[in-house]
Amino acid sequence: MNKNLALDIQKLRKTYIDKDSKQSVEALKGVSFSIKSGTIFGLLGPNGAGKTTIIASITTLEKPSSGDVLVFGESVLSNPLKTKRAVGVVHQEVINTGFFDLNEILDFQSGYYGLYKNKERCDYLLNKLSLWEHRHKKTRQLSGGMKRRLMIAKALVHSPKLLLLDEPTAGVDVGLRESLWKFVTELKAEGLSILLTTHYLEEAEQLCDQVAIIHKGEVLFDGHSTDVISKYALKKFTIFLKNGTKNEFEESTQMGLNEVLMKHNIQLSDIQDIKIEEGKLEKAFAKMVAL
Amino acid sequence: MIIFFTLLRREIKRFLKVAIQTVVSPIVSSALYLLVFGVSLGGSVSLNNGVPYLTFLIPGLMVMGLINNAFQNSSSSIVTSKFSGDLEDIRVAPIPHYYIVWAMGFGGVFRGSVVAIVTGIVGAIFHYLQLGTFISIEHPLWMIYFFIAGGLTFAFIGIGIAFLAKTFDQLSAFSAFILLPLTYLGGVFISIQNLAPIWQTLSKWNPLFYLINGFRYSMLGQADVDLPISVAISLFGVIVTFFIALFSLTKGSFSRW
Repeated sequence: MNKNLALDIQKLRKTYIDKDSKQSVEALKGVSFSIKSGTIFGLLGPNGAGKTTIIASITTLEKPSSGDVLVFGESVLSNPLKTKRAVGVVHQEVINTGFFDLNEILDFQSGYYGLYKNKERCDYLLNKLSLWEHRHKKTRQLSGGMKRRLMIAKALVHSPKLLLLDEPTAGVDVGLRESLWKFVTELKAEGLSILLTTHYLEEAEQLCDQVAIIHKGEVLFDGHSTDVISKYALKKFTIFLKNGTKNEFEESTQMGLNEVLMKHNIQLSDIQDIKIEEGKLEKAFAKMVAL
Repeated sequence: MIIFFTLLRREIKRFLKVAIQTVVSPIVSSALYLLVFGVSLGGSVSLNNGVPYLTFLIPGLMVMGLINNAFQNSSSSIVTSKFSGDLEDIRVAPIPHYYIVWAMGFGGVFRGSVVAIVTGIVGAIFHYLQLGTFISIEHPLWMIYFFIAGGLTFAFIGIGIAFLAKTFDQLSAFSAFILLPLTYLGGVFISIQNLAPIWQTLSKWNPLFYLINGFRYSMLGQADVDLPISVAISLFGVIVTFFIALFSLTKGSFSRW
């Protein structure tokens, strides 16, 4: 039992019977990874890779077929009330509570975690997430971005130690996305451990200390985001020659300009201009998923 | 306890926000029953024990309001939450299942009691206008007992059905094919003494019959069933339905429709 790990996913399997085809589907095929306390971990993968199933297993919305999930050393299967207190979750789908306004929603949310008179924290979050002037509105009166921010406020009312963000920036405009990234970095500075699932590789590249790439229920890579890039992504060299020709080469990110020029037998004196594009996680990802 | 009261507060606030639909409309329908059956037709119905029909009808309609609204409250709360996704918030929070069951149970008791009491007040006004006397409450403590037992039982059934139901149809089927016939044949409108022996025997298999008659006894001091039997069977109802509700939370789905 390692308490330095905010989250420890151990050989998680989930099989269910597909309602239409009546066939058994393996959503997770023995997934394992762990998140060090105080870090941001990015879980990347295409739609249907199993990201949401992993989140659902941590929050006990889904019961795994086998394996276990430890939150700060406690099993979600044998000690759910304790692990749930440590976890805050922002679901992928927005929850539209029809009857109540934002103040009431956060008040109830606090109550679910046994907190009474939590107004100070709720007001802080409303302010922090720019929802203060909308606090008397109902969710249906909010824009898509505000609903997302409300979801984040709800997840944080009880000051969790581990925050699960299931595609928090899906369908969100650029400005808001950047302010959310900033907020996530601030949360990390406060000591929060964060699990983020996303399609946006740029997001993972900027924010995450560690990433895991998951595809069809299996972890394809688990490590530092720069390692993924250096291992799988390619640097793109575009070389314009004085005679007007343009040469494009894709090479390993470890390769320097000199080595590239030598490899392709190009003289420095022939070169007019050079453009180098850094390897992107996006490319690495596409390459891995295609394997 | 904070968690329990939060859930209860949420249930009560929810139905009060839509009070026209949840409180006023059932009261209007009860008032119409009173007017049509109690006042207009009441004069031509005679009961064996000499109780005026309007007096007999008022406690019956009160129980009907109680159980229908207790059932509606918990089941519609869960079903609307299934549509909106709210249930996921409850599911991921550290809340033991029995808190949810008790909070929704008492939410049902509260709404059911509000409807039943207002129905009783409207009934009392009709009673005074028609018969010139106030309707009595012979055993107020037993009346409270039946409010709680009846409200809890039907709120628990509402939880069970709403969690286990896979579609909206299944929920309304229970309401139309089971709840409604049991209520109408359980003695809201009739005394079994006026029925043929075969119907009398069948009525005794209807658990609602005991609840309705227990409640009627607490108000009028007389009913078709002895008080201890009504008390015992309604208590048994609470216990059985509590476990059904608890089971439904374990087996049923919190996820969205």
